[in-house]
Amino acid sequence: MSDLNDNELLQLMLAGDEEALALLYRRRQGGIYRFALHMSGSRSIAEDVTQEVFLFLMREGHVFDPSKGTVGAFLLGVARNHVLRRLRAEHHLAPLGDDSEDEAPCSEPSADMCPLEDLTRAETIESVRRAVLSLPAKYREVVVLCELQDVSYGETAEILGCAIGTIRSRLHRARALLLVKLRPATSVEETSSTTVKSARCFA
Amino acid sequence: MNCQRFESVVSELARGRMMAAEQRDEALAHSGVCDDCASRLRDEEMLTRGLQSLAAEMEPLEAPRAVEAKLLEAFRAQRVVVPITTRKSNSRPSSRYWLAAIAAMLLIVISVVVFRWTNRTADDPRQAVKQEEPKSKPQPKPEVSDKSNEQLVQDVEKPAVDVLPQRVKPKRVRPVSPRRPESEQVANHVTKEIATDFIPLSYMSAASLQEGGQIVRVQLPRSALANFGLPVNMDRYNEKVKADVLVGVDGTARAIRFVQ
Repeated sequence: MSDLNDNELLQLMLAGDEEALALLYRRRQGGIYRFALHMSGSRSIAEDVTQEVFLFLMREGHVFDPSKGTVGAFLLGVARNHVLRRLRAEHHLAPLGDDSEDEAPCSEPSADMCPLEDLTRAETIESVRRAVLSLPAKYREVVVLCELQDVSYGETAEILGCAIGTIRSRLHRARALLLVKLRPATSVEETSSTTVKSARCFA
Repeated sequence: MNCQRFESVVSELARGRMMAAEQRDEALAHSGVCDDCASRLRDEEMLTRGLQSLAAEMEPLEAPRAVEAKLLEAFRAQRVVVPITTRKSNSRPSSRYWLAAIAAMLLIVISVVVFRWTNRTADDPRQAVKQEEPKSKPQPKPEVSDKSNEQLVQDVEKPAVDVLPQRVKPKRVRPVSPRRPESEQVANHVTKEIATDFIPLSYMSAASLQEGGQIVRVQLPRSALANFGLPVNMDRYNEKVKADVLVGVDGTARAIRFVQ
């Protein structure tokens, strides 16, 4: 059964095949969980969203139309809706389309990134993670899908329900915002690496 | 390539995405001669490395095992529940419809019985006359057809009379007065009462009275008479007065008349 594609597994699952559900879940849960985690920054929300997505698939899986896209994109689209709903409910997120927050400062990373300890890889990753998390939702979801989950532009456009050109421009804008948020860290990193090089030269 | 064009491709260049070889070479060549664009490309590459590191760090993360267990459990429960729910969904509405149908039939039967009963009591004198008249013509009993209503009623009270022997309820029929016009008898139902004309309520025109409706008997404080410009006997000020309210088909009170 493992050689069946997602659509075939979905059809089997809707016909009552438990093994098909298990296989489809194991194949797709990681991406959904990580997407929800990147979007929310909360493991509990990511866990809930993953569960809700597959519960939705069990109940409403017949609404999936293979001519409109893949099962993976469909599931990520459902996950996106659940994440945004949860975040709105918890007042962690401004409504989509609100551009007023585009230039909102990233409160968390800037203060913590100045110490030299930030140069360690783990903390750099944490800084990037926080910077991504601080992006407005419409930019964050593009970064998460295109950069962190390596989803193609076409599939991202399908998931978010917009044109590929919109995805490109949002990604470009999101990267610019990330650079602004991460600039203190990168400048420190550059300065320290320069110092190290100089020391070697003098040594 | 100029800086503006470089800016449009720098993200793709830093991400190592597929792009035209010529464009890529031009962009790299431009970054070699333009310090600002070279710095921009370095920033973008650093950001790309940071994002790739984050993606690699998160790659092994998965939903806890418990989620799968819960889902499979829910799936099994759903499979078991489905036939039960479909059976319920089939049976519940039908039983509901049956109950509603029985209730509706009962309501119709009761209303028909009440309607016929009330009509019979009101129309009996006239029906008696109407039924009497055709019978009286062939029968050689002219004295019966010439009788007044009162006489008829009195005849009806007698058990020996063969006109409508079973349907007659003498006590209800007796108050019919021959002096009063027939229309008033029908409208008032109880002929001993004296009633005012219907007074349209302030927000209704007189024309709206023609739309029909239902008359509801109510009791009002005698002071209500004054509200409609009618004289009030101050000695009986505390007593109540009967009134008929004409309620329209939309449920609003259209007119009122006072009854004594």
